[in-house]
Amino acid sequence: MLEVKSLSVSYGAVAALMNVSVHVAEGEFVSLIGSNGAGKTTLLNSIMNIIGHSKGTVTFKGKEITKLNTPKIVKGGMAIVPEGRRIFSNMTVKENLEMGGFTRPAHEVKEKLEQMYDMFPVLGERHDQTAGMLSGGEQQMLAIGRALMTSPKMLLMDEPSMGLAPLVIKEVYEKLKLLASTGLTILLVEQNATMALKYAQRGYVLENGRIILQGKASELLGDNEVKRAYLGKEYKEKWER
Amino acid sequence: MQFLYSGLTSGSIYGLVALGFNIIYNTTGIINFAQGEFVMFGGMLIYTFFTIFHVPFAIALPVTVLGSFIIGALFERIFVNFCKYKTEINLFTITLAASIILRDVAMHAWGRDSVKVDDYIPIANLKMPGGVISSQSVLIIIVSLLVAWGLNLFLKRSKYGKAMRACFDDQTAAETCGISVRNVRIIAFGVASFMAGVAGVLISPITFVTYDDGIMIGLKGFCAAILGGMGNFWAAVAGGLMLGIFESFSASIIPSGYKDAMAFFVILLILFVKPDGLFGKKRAHRV
Repeated sequence: MLEVKSLSVSYGAVAALMNVSVHVAEGEFVSLIGSNGAGKTTLLNSIMNIIGHSKGTVTFKGKEITKLNTPKIVKGGMAIVPEGRRIFSNMTVKENLEMGGFTRPAHEVKEKLEQMYDMFPVLGERHDQTAGMLSGGEQQMLAIGRALMTSPKMLLMDEPSMGLAPLVIKEVYEKLKLLASTGLTILLVEQNATMALKYAQRGYVLENGRIILQGKASELLGDNEVKRAYLGKEYKEKWER
Repeated sequence: MQFLYSGLTSGSIYGLVALGFNIIYNTTGIINFAQGEFVMFGGMLIYTFFTIFHVPFAIALPVTVLGSFIIGALFERIFVNFCKYKTEINLFTITLAASIILRDVAMHAWGRDSVKVDDYIPIANLKMPGGVISSQSVLIIIVSLLVAWGLNLFLKRSKYGKAMRACFDDQTAAETCGISVRNVRIIAFGVASFMAGVAGVLISPITFVTYDDGIMIGLKGFCAAILGGMGNFWAAVAGGLMLGIFESFSASIIPSGYKDAMAFFVILLILFVKPDGLFGKKRAHRV
């Protein structure tokens, strides 16, 4: 469904991604893990063309989307839950969701709103509240809901666990699992390796802008190279949270 | 009381201009220094249609405000869009340059002399407690408030209005929702120019229109926007009204020659004492 071929991105003289190739099949749940500054967010943002890239191609559903602008990519069926959630904090929960449905016809938005409230009851309870008032976990749910409002075929997730309590992280992942079971294709990038690999079918490990490992998620979970990529040493407890 | 009435009149005009500043600031983060020129164009357009060509007012008015909207949208397409590096300082400079260009265009098109626009409604003085208020003033105040209220509805209810607020919050996130920030920016300039056009139409029968009218009204509107606090629409209206009232009261105490300076005195005071403006609230930011 998504195919990224030898993508390179640099910020000025600093190369952030070098020759990164990733593919995700339809209906798959793929996690891409890597430590701070490995280039995970850069990868997602350049897939969505939020930032430009210098080399490589991105193909989505058989069509090249390398040069399309972000709104067009969204219309094409790919959605992103951006890093740090980036909800519209001065707008209400309902308005946030409506913005997600911006490209969809009004009756579909209405229908989808109900679906979102069913899926995330807390959003329904607080639909009139300013989104900035929500807790971190609720904001994450809202960000996911907003992305789902675009009726995506594929969802890109950027660090859903960022700044959340372990219990809330689990809740978020359970929702993702549920979404994956409905046939949504998911590409997730995450620092929290254990969590991300536990729920995914396949995984990639990104280090310093390069893919250094890939394979079945369950195999990567026990891989020593993964630990090394994170810590250089086996500080097991620290990353196994 | 008489000062209050005349203050409210000019204040509503400042309020409209301040709203225009606010809309563009909120969606693009820049101050559009050509805002005053939009007002002048509104006045000139109504002069052209209504006074020169004797088009009925019912037609001349929609044509003028629609024309204002188009001028604003074109302004964005021509001046802002072609700016390669859209940093704030570049865009400031561009709007400043554009305002001078627009002024010169107006000078060539309509000449250097002030032009008088015919009255829209019969002039009568209404007796009010403590003074009189002219029917024109009443018209200005009512229409300004109606337009401000309409804008509020547009931002709260309509799809594109909400999209404008989304862009104000987070442009990147708005793009990931499929909102074209480019289109929203065009609309923002159009709406801002529309508001200015309405202001221009309203005041021209009273104050006449001259090609360089835009400078003063633009700066005063800017003062009003700062006084109320950027980012808050009702604050802009309130800021405009307060500035107008303050101006006319100050004329009663100190020589009226200093009247124009009062606006700038106010802006300095605000910037020294309360830089967020009187009603400016800090935007909710997650750290």
